[in-house]
Amino acid sequence: MAAIEVSALEREFKGGVRAVDGIDLEVQAGEVYGFLGPNGAGKTTTVRMLVTLLRPTAGSARVAGFDVATEPAQVRRRIGVALQEAALDPLMTGRELIQLQATLHGIAPRSVADRGDELIGRVGLSRAAERRVGTYSGGMRRRLDLAMALIHRPEVLFLDEPTTGLDPTSRLTLWEEVRRLRDEGTTVFLTTQYLEEADQLADRLGIIAAGKLVAGGTPAALKAEVGRPHLDLVLADGADLAAAREVVASFGDRRPASDGCHLSIALEHGAAEIAPVLRALDDAGFAVAELELKQPTLDDVFLEKTGEHLEGGDEPEPEPAGGPAVLG
Amino acid sequence: MTHELRMVGALMRRGLNEILRVPGGAVPGVLAPTIFMLGLSAVFGRAAQLPGFDATDFRTFIVPVGMLQGAGFTGAATGVNLARDIEQGWFDRMLLAPAPRPVLLAGVVGSACLRSLLPATFLLAVAFALGVDWPGLLELALAAVLVMGLAAAMACWGVVIALRFRTQQAAPLMQMGSFVAVLFTTAYAPRELLSDWLRAIADVNPVTHVLEGVRQGFVGDVTWADTWPALVSVTGLVVVLGALAVRGMRRQGY
Amino acid sequence: MKAAVLGLARRALRNSARKPQFLAPLVIFPTLFLALNVGGLERTTELPGFPRVDGFLDFQLAAAITQSLLLGGVAAGIAVALDIEGGFFDRLIASPIPRVAIVLGSVLAAGVIAVVQVAYFLVLGLAFGAEIKGGVVGVLAVLAIGVVAGTGFGALGVMIALRARNASTVQGIFPIVFVVLFVSSAFFPENLLSSPVDSLAAYNPLSYIAEGMRQPIAFANEAGPFLEGLAAAAGMTAVAIALSVMALRGRLRDA
Repeated sequence: MAAIEVSALEREFKGGVRAVDGIDLEVQAGEVYGFLGPNGAGKTTTVRMLVTLLRPTAGSARVAGFDVATEPAQVRRRIGVALQEAALDPLMTGRELIQLQATLHGIAPRSVADRGDELIGRVGLSRAAERRVGTYSGGMRRRLDLAMALIHRPEVLFLDEPTTGLDPTSRLTLWEEVRRLRDEGTTVFLTTQYLEEADQLADRLGIIAAGKLVAGGTPAALKAEVGRPHLDLVLADGADLAAAREVVASFGDRRPASDGCHLSIALEHGAAEIAPVLRALDDAGFAVAELELKQPTLDDVFLEKTGEHLEGGDEPEPEPAGGPAVLG
Repeated sequence: MTHELRMVGALMRRGLNEILRVPGGAVPGVLAPTIFMLGLSAVFGRAAQLPGFDATDFRTFIVPVGMLQGAGFTGAATGVNLARDIEQGWFDRMLLAPAPRPVLLAGVVGSACLRSLLPATFLLAVAFALGVDWPGLLELALAAVLVMGLAAAMACWGVVIALRFRTQQAAPLMQMGSFVAVLFTTAYAPRELLSDWLRAIADVNPVTHVLEGVRQGFVGDVTWADTWPALVSVTGLVVVLGALAVRGMRRQGY
Repeated sequence: MKAAVLGLARRALRNSARKPQFLAPLVIFPTLFLALNVGGLERTTELPGFPRVDGFLDFQLAAAITQSLLLGGVAAGIAVALDIEGGFFDRLIASPIPRVAIVLGSVLAAGVIAVVQVAYFLVLGLAFGAEIKGGVVGVLAVLAIGVVAGTGFGALGVMIALRARNASTVQGIFPIVFVVLFVSSAFFPENLLSSPVDSLAAYNPLSYIAEGMRQPIAFANEAGPFLEGLAAAAGMTAVAIALSVMALRGRLRDA
């Protein structure tokens, strides 16, 4: 049975803006599904509809077997949610928050004590459990949020940009946790604007741009669909680049890119073409100083599907503290 | 049902948590009604000499107003806190709980009921120290019920506004609402002494009955004739504003 | 110096105009209070000892103006505190304008807003049947005291903001506005106040400011109360500006 089934899902906001414009997707039970897209593409709006925080204006969605629009209470019972804004009461301690979350999910505090301890330990917050959340770092908050989302053993876990704004170490810790959850059989729906995250974690992924799903499949299949591997070469000092270009022009896409003493060749027939390229250069008397085979990335996929690069440039600048002051 | 009660309890504890952990934040709300009561009675105290005033002492007359003002402030503060929770995303977490929406509302509003006893208690302590007569335990119990009920109603009002505007900047609207509700009544003078337009408003304002219900024990004896309109009015306010608040919550998530 | 003060005052005014939600409470709250006092206690003019007035509204207008001006001071303080929180204040300090201009700009803006506040309440009073006994001269007298007092309350707000440095603390002085107003004769004749407020009110400059404005509204133009009110407002303003400049110096020293 599919854990998530979405069909022609739409959300139109006041003023006619369609943040989500007819999305179809299916996530199998036990799968990690990556939902990849830039800021403003409609990721969060989609998640908010799937977790019953926002009513769809058209289309339908079933999560854990229940319709989000007509059986929201059933859905809520079966999902765990860690939203982008890890909303945690700064005045409460980590343990108090876990207990409150358990109570909100109708679990008696007694029966949850062990589970709470286990989760706190699992996300590495045992020593901070009695501290107020106001003193936590960003990474600790996200981990606590994850633990809270897991308290009632949800069938489907929604993580909305779980690592945005985190330092690399905290990001790795969270990735580890997501992998562990998948190994335990939890279905995970994860939104991200990071290609690497989608690549690392997702069994399958969907790419969303301007409210529409523009591509879907396993990361490997998507990459295979758009790209060929590139061979990047650095020639030894003093080499005549123009002459070298002539030599390799008969390989790859016949338009080798060059820059300084770098050469980049898109290989038509994959890695099997490396040896002939090197042999030809060697025969012509060129010495190769460095060599790298580059596989296509999800960014290539994204570029192919949307005409834009995903990463870089769409990270919003952090607002200066205090905000309201206006320059005269 | 026990699950639901436990949820209400947990949400109420969180609401109360705020007073216990940030006591400074609660101080203005606790002091304001007392300041108001002391100030008004010092400034307008002679008004009690007007013929038709049914209390010999203006301070005694105004003490119940202060108690209800505390309830109004507490209710408005509940709305402001909810707006903050909406801004920060905490409210999403509540809506994600698989609990009936009225249960979640009861948790938010319940803490306002308990918190409203704080400014009322402080006010009474000051009033008794200054010589206001002890009205009797039963009278105080009735007053406490009405104060908590009005706090619940005003908290529902705050919730409605918070859900509508989703920002703490709507705070003046919540405060203004409770200010008008509590004071545009027979707060300052008996009905006969009010100017015509204020008497007309006070006559249709249900909080007038609530105020008279609290006041009766301070200025005289508690009678059923003054008690039942107060109880009906406060119940009606809670039901109507509570229904609006639940509707607002259903519109957010559903 | 002059250009810097005017520029900063203009900025403060523009910011206020763009955020009506901050300005509106300055008049709405005193208006509600005015309506309540008049509607609930209009018969108090019948009390023995109450001066002869046409109505309680005539008497209360000056109190509402004073209250509004005090709230204007709180708003001026909040604006400065937000500038401090937002970092704009540090940028001003780092700029080559005279330091005192930073304070005077905000204070001047409070004075300009005071004109609007006074005008609003006079128009409101006229609309609801009050009469300004002193005529045009009376209006000018009310404006004179109101603007000077509004400037001074602005300076007090700025002083508190410079010391407190965060907007929520400045917001917290809101109840104090009521305390200082309650221990004055702004709301009720001094001879009818209860003890101990009756004796305290004589030492409260707000009593003189309110009565100075009340005289031309409710009674008649008379030099004595006007000069007392103006002197009280001017004295309070001079002290407040001095205190806020000192607070600025203290802040610069700590920085």
